[in-house]
Amino acid sequence: MKLVKAIVRPNKVDEIKDALAACSVAGMTVTEVRGHGRQRGHSAVYRGREYEVSLLPKIKIEVVVPDDMVEDVIDAIMSAARTGEIGDGRVFVIPVEDSRKIRTGERDVV
Amino acid sequence: MTTEHATVDAVPAGERSLAETLRAARDAYRAEIRLARGGVQAAEAYSTLIDGLLVRIHEEAAAQTDTPVALVAIGGYGRRHLCLHSDIDLLILFGGPIAAAEERFVKAQLHPLWDLGLDVGHQVRHVGELETPETDNPEFLVAVLDARFLTGDAGVFERFNTLVHGPASVWRQPTIEALCGLVADRHSQFNTTIYQLEPDVKEAPGALRDVAAIRALVALSQPGAARTVPTSSGRLDEAIDEAEEFFLRIRSLLHLENGRNLNALNHEHQEAVAERFGSPGTQAQSQVEALMSVYFHHARIIARVLANAIKEAHPPSSPEPTKPVSDNLRRDRDGISIIDMVRASLQPHTWVRAFQAAIDECCPVSPETLAFVERHGDRYTSEEFFPTTAERDQFLRLLKPTPGLYDRLSEMHENGLLGRMFPEFRKVYCRVIRDFYHKYTVDEHTLLTIRNLSALADPNSTERGRFASIFAELRQPELIVLALLFHDTGKWTDKNHAEESVRMVGGPLRRLRVPPEDIRTVEFLIRHHLQMSVAAFRRDSEDPEVAQQFARLVGTEDRLKMLCLLTLVDIQAVSPETLTPWKEELLWRLYVDTYNHITLGYGDEVIATGQSSISGLQAHRPPEISEHQVTDFLEGLPQRYLRLVDPLTVYDHIRLSRDLEPDEVRLTLDQHDDVWELSVVTKDRPRIFSNVCGVLSYFGMDILRGQAMSNRQKVVLDLFRFVDADRFLALNESGQSEVTRLLQDGVTGNADLAAMLKGREAATRARRRTIRLRSMVHFDHHYSDRYTVLEIGGANRWGLLYNVSRVISEHGCDIDLVLISTEGDRAIDVFHLTRDGAKLAPDVEQDLRTGLEAALGVADEAR
Repeated sequence: MKLVKAIVRPNKVDEIKDALAACSVAGMTVTEVRGHGRQRGHSAVYRGREYEVSLLPKIKIEVVVPDDMVEDVIDAIMSAARTGEIGDGRVFVIPVEDSRKIRTGERDVV
Repeated sequence: MTTEHATVDAVPAGERSLAETLRAARDAYRAEIRLARGGVQAAEAYSTLIDGLLVRIHEEAAAQTDTPVALVAIGGYGRRHLCLHSDIDLLILFGGPIAAAEERFVKAQLHPLWDLGLDVGHQVRHVGELETPETDNPEFLVAVLDARFLTGDAGVFERFNTLVHGPASVWRQPTIEALCGLVADRHSQFNTTIYQLEPDVKEAPGALRDVAAIRALVALSQPGAARTVPTSSGRLDEAIDEAEEFFLRIRSLLHLENGRNLNALNHEHQEAVAERFGSPGTQAQSQVEALMSVYFHHARIIARVLANAIKEAHPPSSPEPTKPVSDNLRRDRDGISIIDMVRASLQPHTWVRAFQAAIDECCPVSPETLAFVERHGDRYTSEEFFPTTAERDQFLRLLKPTPGLYDRLSEMHENGLLGRMFPEFRKVYCRVIRDFYHKYTVDEHTLLTIRNLSALADPNSTERGRFASIFAELRQPELIVLALLFHDTGKWTDKNHAEESVRMVGGPLRRLRVPPEDIRTVEFLIRHHLQMSVAAFRRDSEDPEVAQQFARLVGTEDRLKMLCLLTLVDIQAVSPETLTPWKEELLWRLYVDTYNHITLGYGDEVIATGQSSISGLQAHRPPEISEHQVTDFLEGLPQRYLRLVDPLTVYDHIRLSRDLEPDEVRLTLDQHDDVWELSVVTKDRPRIFSNVCGVLSYFGMDILRGQAMSNRQKVVLDLFRFVDADRFLALNESGQSEVTRLLQDGVTGNADLAAMLKGREAATRARRRTIRLRSMVHFDHHYSDRYTVLEIGGANRWGLLYNVSRVISEHGCDIDLVLISTEGDRAIDVFHLTRDGAKLAPDVEQDLRTGLEAALGVADEAR
């Protein structure tokens, strides 16, 4: 099992959800986050005054999937999230040791 | 009845084990609850059985100590209102010091209760400790209000009772403060509103804890009196009893369903409770609506009585003197009251004044006057509340967002006045819309949006400072309130609610005689009240096209500001958790990007032949204006012109521009309320804008808005809105012709404005206050391909525009477009510049910056 964690543009969430559903991914966690990547935000001007926008609003999507689905899930996220512009985000893959379904106690059901 | 229950029942009560006794008590209680009879009587019966258990345990435990000890029920258990899974709140009170033997007693008393699986909240005190109130423990102060002797040493309890509840007790005032503090804290957790879609029947405002608080405050305010709510008719007591019975019956069902001490009446439970209660309706949804309607009815009564009890518990140190506040209104201890009710009963259009007076005086409308309005409201139709424009103005003044507006509108809503004036709003009365997000009924959500907007107006609040700064710039914030009041009225049906709300606001706007321009603004805000959320949260905030499209939708910066604030407060009123800093940031970014696009980027979007908006103007043009004249005038003007100016004014401008001679200056000067509007049309020549500004400054006018633009025919159109700050036009009969004459001379260069202004400058500066705001000069290279965009900001001061525009001209730059806005004490001016038909070269830009900073005194400000 792997935890696939994607940081994406906020407006891409619906497309990614649809893409993950098409891969038969059942559950996901979506969180509002702020951060910056390599470009470290940018500056903006309002009424002539410049201010730094260092932490950009992004969405974090987390899904736990069996090992054999990881590549499909990454592909689905990347193709749905990509615009080709700076700020498209990142996908991380992290090993998951164990998981239990709280209601039933079932193990490794994702 | 279960077999197990039958077996237990067969055993004589005295011989049953504690567990069997508890099980029997619970089974009996469950049976009552299933019949929807788990109210006060059932709770008291259960409490009595628990009392018995405690007495039995105490009989065994008493041997552990020789110190006199009293076992006291406190909190809800003290009131005998135990539900199935309520905590058993106990006070173990010793008549002497607490040592090892007393600790053994406490264990012997509590362990059997824990073994039975009961949740026990216990307090152990030596009665001598209670000579001073525990002011650092407000929950304890409040819990012992309901102390009830269970067993043990009655003398110890009597001593406690004298100390805590006796006539000379020092506990009274600290307990009142503790109780009021806890009520306020608890209410704030629920956004201080009873209209929760999934209310907690114990903790929510207007629910069970508030019933207990009312009784406690009455007892504390009148020591020695019976703990009932005093009323002349006694009906209020009955209403409180009914509410308590209703809430307890629901709570007992929730405990039965949940199997634990959870008291939230969520959507799922609402259906089950409605069914058990036999709520009227053929479908689950209608049954739930009937149930919740009864719930809100009881909660409203409790909230109102509690508010009054809290006020009664804090009598003013000196009685509030009664004073008249306006015609037929006075202010007294209860708030604003109508003096002559017989007269007022015949003049429904005057009632709103009572609510306005309450806002002005920062007090409520008196209960007596609220009851009067409620009694007489049904006699009148909605038209009779607004017979003339004076009542329209009165109502729009009331809608100015200020702290207190929400409370007054809530009073008007609860006593039916708002619904009587606007039956369209009554259609969403207690309307329940089930979704994952909304926490309040539609009407309460609406009123909360207005509360949130009013919070931005509070100068003491630092909440959401950047949005508050937008709010401070609005010329007509009451239009947002008007839009908010009706933005969700369309939710009475399942249609597209934004469009339905636009349809429904038509009646109110007509009855209020709102001017057409304001009607368009209100309808725009309602129709598009979801659009900014969509653009901010569901589109790519970094894509310039998003802001560009949104700029096209809103058109002007005024509408953008209003829609932005409406969106902010609308999201905030969904639930306390909905407006996250993340969403605020996205909303702000879209606002800034769109604002910049509207004010900095509009120059590149010019009107072209064949555009649909030109076709509309052609189709409806007056007969004396030719198709050719329309086209000639409009082509080359910025698109923004058509967004700002209504068609009739466009035709006026076309008339001014026809057959214009090279040296001719044509202008119109009109007054609208306190604001003057000036239109100047002439052929392009140097320093037109600068000279018009100079003339207006010479006469002491404060320029609020200014715009300069030119078309393909090199016809210049300058539009100004200004205030006659020195009352020159008001005090001089020939003032208007003097201003007009000097404008003609100034624009054509026949008057030496520089010399004229020099003489006025010192006198005017001395007369007007100086505002300290740091000036700034900024050149933007991003938003326009055709122009260098110059932004200048700083304190609005006399002659500023004239000086700035002269400096620009002295540097050989052409001012092609200008956008001037004065917002409070701050001036924000945007100039679109070229030199020799092109953007400014870097060295020209640097020279101009230096010149402007010198003219603005930037270096002096920095010192």
